[in-house]
Amino acid sequence: MFAYTVRRLLQFIPTIVAITLIIFLLLNVLPGNAALMAGGKNRLPDDVMEKLKERWGLNKPIHVRYLLYMKDLAQGDLGTSFFAREKVSQMLASRLWPTLKLACTALLIACLLGIPLGFYSALRQGTWVDTVTMVGAVSGVSMPQFWLGLLLMFLFSVQFKLLPTFGYGEGAAVNLILPSLTLGVGYMALLARTTRAAVVEILTQDYVRTARAKGLTKIWVNRKHVFRNTLVLLLTSAGLQFGSLIGETVVVETLFSWPGIGSLLVNSIFYRDTPVTQGCILVIIIGFLVINLVVDLLYGVIDPRIKYQ
Amino acid sequence: MKKALFVLLAVSFLCVFSATTLYAVEKGGAFNWIAPYGSSVSSLDPNASDDEQNELVCINIHRGLYKWDASQNAPKLEIAESVSSSADGLIYTYKLKNNVKFHNGRQLTADDVIYTYNRIMNPENAFGASGLLKVIKGADDVFNGKADTIAGLRKIDDLTLEITMERSVDPAYALFQVNTAIVPREAVEDTTTPFGSNPVGCGPFKFVKWVKGSEIVLEKFDEFYEAGKPYLDTLVYKIMGDSAARDIAFRAKELDANILYSSQYAAYSVDPELSKRLIEVAEMYTRMIAFNRDYTLADGRKPFEDKRVRQAFNHAIDSDLIIKKFQKNKAYPASSFLAPTTPGFDPDLKGYEYNPTLAKKLMEEAGYADGFPLEIVGTESDSYGTGAVEVIIPFLKKIGIMVKPVTLEGAAKYERQKNGNFQAIIGSLPSGPDPIQQLWRFHSSTDRASRNTPAFNNQQFDQYLEAAAAERTDMDKRLDYVKKANALFMEEAPLWFFNYNKAIIAYHPWVHGIQKVGPEMMFQDFTEVWVESSSPRAK
Amino acid sequence: MKDLLKKLKRRTNLVFGTCIVVMMTATAIFAPFLAPYHPVDDADLLYSEEPPSREFLFGTDSQGRDILSRVIYGARISLSVGLLSQLMNSIIGIVLGLTAGYFGKWWDDLVMGLTNIMLSIPAVIFALAIMALLGPGLMNVFIALGLTNWSYTCRITRSQVLFTRDLNYVKAAQALGYGKIRIMFTQILPNIVGPILVIATLGIAGAILMEAALSFLGLGTQPPTPSWGGMLAKAREQIFTTPWISIFPGLAIFTTVLGLNLLGDGLRDFLDPHTAKKI
Repeated sequence: MFAYTVRRLLQFIPTIVAITLIIFLLLNVLPGNAALMAGGKNRLPDDVMEKLKERWGLNKPIHVRYLLYMKDLAQGDLGTSFFAREKVSQMLASRLWPTLKLACTALLIACLLGIPLGFYSALRQGTWVDTVTMVGAVSGVSMPQFWLGLLLMFLFSVQFKLLPTFGYGEGAAVNLILPSLTLGVGYMALLARTTRAAVVEILTQDYVRTARAKGLTKIWVNRKHVFRNTLVLLLTSAGLQFGSLIGETVVVETLFSWPGIGSLLVNSIFYRDTPVTQGCILVIIIGFLVINLVVDLLYGVIDPRIKYQ
Repeated sequence: MKKALFVLLAVSFLCVFSATTLYAVEKGGAFNWIAPYGSSVSSLDPNASDDEQNELVCINIHRGLYKWDASQNAPKLEIAESVSSSADGLIYTYKLKNNVKFHNGRQLTADDVIYTYNRIMNPENAFGASGLLKVIKGADDVFNGKADTIAGLRKIDDLTLEITMERSVDPAYALFQVNTAIVPREAVEDTTTPFGSNPVGCGPFKFVKWVKGSEIVLEKFDEFYEAGKPYLDTLVYKIMGDSAARDIAFRAKELDANILYSSQYAAYSVDPELSKRLIEVAEMYTRMIAFNRDYTLADGRKPFEDKRVRQAFNHAIDSDLIIKKFQKNKAYPASSFLAPTTPGFDPDLKGYEYNPTLAKKLMEEAGYADGFPLEIVGTESDSYGTGAVEVIIPFLKKIGIMVKPVTLEGAAKYERQKNGNFQAIIGSLPSGPDPIQQLWRFHSSTDRASRNTPAFNNQQFDQYLEAAAAERTDMDKRLDYVKKANALFMEEAPLWFFNYNKAIIAYHPWVHGIQKVGPEMMFQDFTEVWVESSSPRAK
Repeated sequence: MKDLLKKLKRRTNLVFGTCIVVMMTATAIFAPFLAPYHPVDDADLLYSEEPPSREFLFGTDSQGRDILSRVIYGARISLSVGLLSQLMNSIIGIVLGLTAGYFGKWWDDLVMGLTNIMLSIPAVIFALAIMALLGPGLMNVFIALGLTNWSYTCRITRSQVLFTRDLNYVKAAQALGYGKIRIMFTQILPNIVGPILVIATLGIAGAILMEAALSFLGLGTQPPTPSWGGMLAKAREQIFTTPWISIFPGLAIFTTVLGLNLLGDGLRDFLDPHTAKKI
C-alpha cells in the first residue's frame, strides 16, 4: 500500500505539469491584461501601464513566461500577485482553511441527508414515496446557487432574524450554516440519487436475494450486504464530485463574502491577475488529486478484497 | 414649597440637559460599512491603490497634503496648516501641522512627504499616482530614470516644505487623491510585514485586521491630529460585491449604511421608513456612448463622420423616460459632458431634446434614411453597460439604426476601448472634479489610446481649453472658457450624452454624518461620522 | 403493450420526467405561437415592471417586456444551450471513449490522462476561463459548456467498451472482417446507449444551471436574447421588490432541471437489465 501511494503521488507530477500548461495558455490568451484593470474607473496613464507590463513580465513572449513560471514553481514559488504585490502562497494560505471548512461542512450536510434519503428511496423503488423523495432531493439541485443563497439569506436573516446574512464572523459556526447549506444542497441531491442507484443495483444482486431467501431480516440484509457495497460506489462519486464542489465555492463565496479561494479566483480572473489565478487552480487541483487518492486508499479499508497493484 | 420648586428646577434642568445631549455627538461604537466594488480588496498601500475599491478604505487610514472637502465640494488643505504660493504660481510653500502622527507614534515631517513622493515616482514601483505628481518639477525625470529624486521638492525645515511646479497649476486637485497620501518609510521598508496588508498611515483610523475577501477592521487612532475625533471606535469594511446580498444585509441591520442600485433605490424611495434616510449626490461621472468616426459601413461610408448622424442619435433617445422608468430616477439626465457638481457646469446649457422627428430628418439629410447596423460594446451593467443599450434598441430602430449589444468583461472592453476596436462603446467617464483635466482628454493632443475614446479633434475646442488653463487669476473668466469648450463639445456630439450618476447611500436612523461626496460617493470620510446609542453596534 | 403500461405504472419518475421534458420542448418549438408578445421588440418602457395582470400574465421586466413571452422564448435558448452543449459533450466523450477503449495503448493513456485532467479542473472555472477568452454570447456558451463536461461520458464509454470488446458478438464481427470503425459504431455503441443517455439527461440539466451561474458572474448569454439563467441573474437585485421578474424564469429552470433529472433516473431504472428483471 505504501508503494502504491508513492507511485500515485509520483503520477501527480505529469498531471500537474499538463494542467499548468493548459491553464497558463488559456489565461494568457484572454483579451485584455492586468495593466488595463489596474486603474479602476480612472484608467492609468499609458507610461504607467507600460511600466507595469514590464514589471509583471507581460511584455515577454509567452513561452519565456511559461518557462519562468515553471522554474519558480519547481522551487515552490507560486509567484507574486500583480495587484496585492504579495506572495501568492501567502494569499492562498490564509484562504485555504475557510474554503476547506465550507466544502467539508457542505459535504457533511450532503452525506447526512443525501445517503439516508437515497437508501429510503431505493427500498421503496418505483412507488410514490420514491418519487416524492427524489423530487425533494432533486429540487435542491434544480435551483441556481446564487438564487438559493439569496432566498436562504432573506428567510433566515431578515425574516426569522436567526442567522447572520453574510461574512466569515471570525469563523463562528453560525456564519457557516447558510453558505454551506447553499453549497451542500445540490450535492445532497446528487448523493441521494447516486445512493439510490447503487442500492437498487445491489438489491438485485444474487447474494442479496439469496440472503433474503434464507430468511434473514430485511434490516440485517440491508446493513450487512447492501450498505458496504454501496459505500464503495458512493466513495467513487463523492471523490469525483468533491472537485466540482470546491469549484462551486466560486459562486457561494462571492455571494456570502466568504474569505476563501473561490472568491479570490473569480476576482483574479476578471482582473487578469494571472499568478493568483494559477495559484488558486493549482491548489484546487492538488486538493482534488489528493482526495481521490484518499478515496482509492479507503476502498481497501472498506472492502479488504480490493488489492493495490 | 421649596421642595416642589427644587423638583421643578431639577426637572427643567434635566429637560434642557437631555435636549442638548439629544443633538450632541455620541462617541464610541462600531460602524459596519462596505467595500462594494468586487469581492476583493487588493492592497491598502495608498500609493499602490489605483482602484476605487482600495481607495475607499485607504481614505480613512491615510492622509495627504490635501483632502476632498465634501461640504465645499472642493479640495482643502489637510496635514498642512497653511500654504503660500509665489507670484508666478510656480512655487508652493507648505507649513505642516505639528501634531500629525503616524499610527506607529512617530511624527510626520517634511522628509516623509519627500520620501513618499519620490516613492510614487520611482519607476520600479509603476504606481498610477505617478501621473498625478507630474505637475511637480522634475517628477517626470525620476519616472523616466533620468534622476533619482524629484528636483522640485525641497525641505526647508522639519515642518516646512517647498514644492516647485512644472507649470503654473494649483496642485490641490492632484494632491487630494488618496493615492498621494503620505506613508512612513520605516513601515514601508519593513519587509517582515508587507505594507499593502499592514498599512500604517496618519489618518483617523488605524489598521487592525483584514480577513482577505471578507472584511477589514479599523480602529480609532487616539493621537489623530483633530482633537476628539474620530467619534467611532471601530470602522468595519465588509467586502461585498453582490448588491442583492448587500440589500439583505442592510435590511437585516448588519450594515449601518449601504450604497443603492437603481432597483433598490426605487424600492427604498417608496418605503415610508427607508425613504427618510437616503442621501443623494450627482456623481462626477458621465455615462455616454462614444462613437467611432472610423466605423465604416459595407458600402464604404462612415456614418459617424457626419455630425448630423451623431446629433440624430442624441435626439432619437428619450433619456428622461429611460432614467425615470428603467433607472428608477437613479440618474440625472446629461445635457453635456460636465456633471452638475463639477465647476464649469452650465445650468443654462440645454442638452439634446428628445425629438424623433428631428432625428429622422437629420438622418435623411445626412443620407442615412435607411439607417445602418451598429454594434455597441460595453460591460454587463444596467447603468453604463449593455443593460442600458438594450433599452435604447427600440428608440434607435425608429431612425433605422439597428443596434446589437456586445457584452464584454472589463479587461476585454478596456482593451478594445484603447485600441479603437469598436463601432460605438458605452461607458462611464469621470467628468470632475477638475473640469480642465477631464475635458483635456478630448484635446487633440490626447490620442485614443490615452483617454480620448471618441478621438475628438477640434481646434476651437483646443483653444478654449488652453485659454482656460492659462487663465490663473480670474476664476470666472477661466470657468467661462470651460463652459465654452463644454458647449462646443456638446454641439459637436462626439458622444451620446446619457446621464450623470446619482449615487445614493441609505443609512439607518442611528447614523449621522454621511456626506455627499461628488467625485465618488463611496469615498466617505468617517472622521465625523457617529452613531446613536440605539445602534446595535453602539458602545 | 399491456406489459409496457404495467411497467410504466411503476415508473412514476420516468412518466413525470418525460411529461415535463416534452412540455418544455413543445414550448420551445412552438414559442412564436404561444408567446403573446415578442420577447425583445415589444418592449415599452411605459409599461415597465408591471406586476402580473390579465394583460401580462407574468408581469413585465424593467425594460417593459412581457415576462411570459420571455420565459417562453427563453425555453428555446436554455434548452438549446443544454441540448447542444451536451450533444457536443456526448460526441467528444463517445468518440474519445470508444477509440481509447478499442485501440488501447498510448492513445488510451493519452485520452485517460486528458480525462483525468478535465475531471480535476472544476467545470465552473474551466467554463469561466473559456467564456472570458471567447467573450459572452450564446454561441460561446455552447462551446464553453460543450468542452467542459465530456469526461464522464468518455470514462463510461471506455469502460463499457473494455467490457464488451471481448464478448462473443464483437469477436464474431471481427471474424467476419468488419472494419474497426464499423465494429465500434455498429456493434459496441448500441449496447452502451443506455448509460450514455442517462448521463446526457443530467448533463443537459447541468448545462442549464451552469449557464445561470455564468450569467451570475456576468459571462452568460448576450442581451437582449432571453435565457432563463440570464433573466434570473439580472433580476436578483429585485428579488424582494419586484419578485415576479425573477420568480418565473426561476420556476422554469427548476421545473426543467427537475424533469430532466427524473427522466434520467427513470431511464436508468428502465434501461437497466438488472432492475427490469425484478418486475
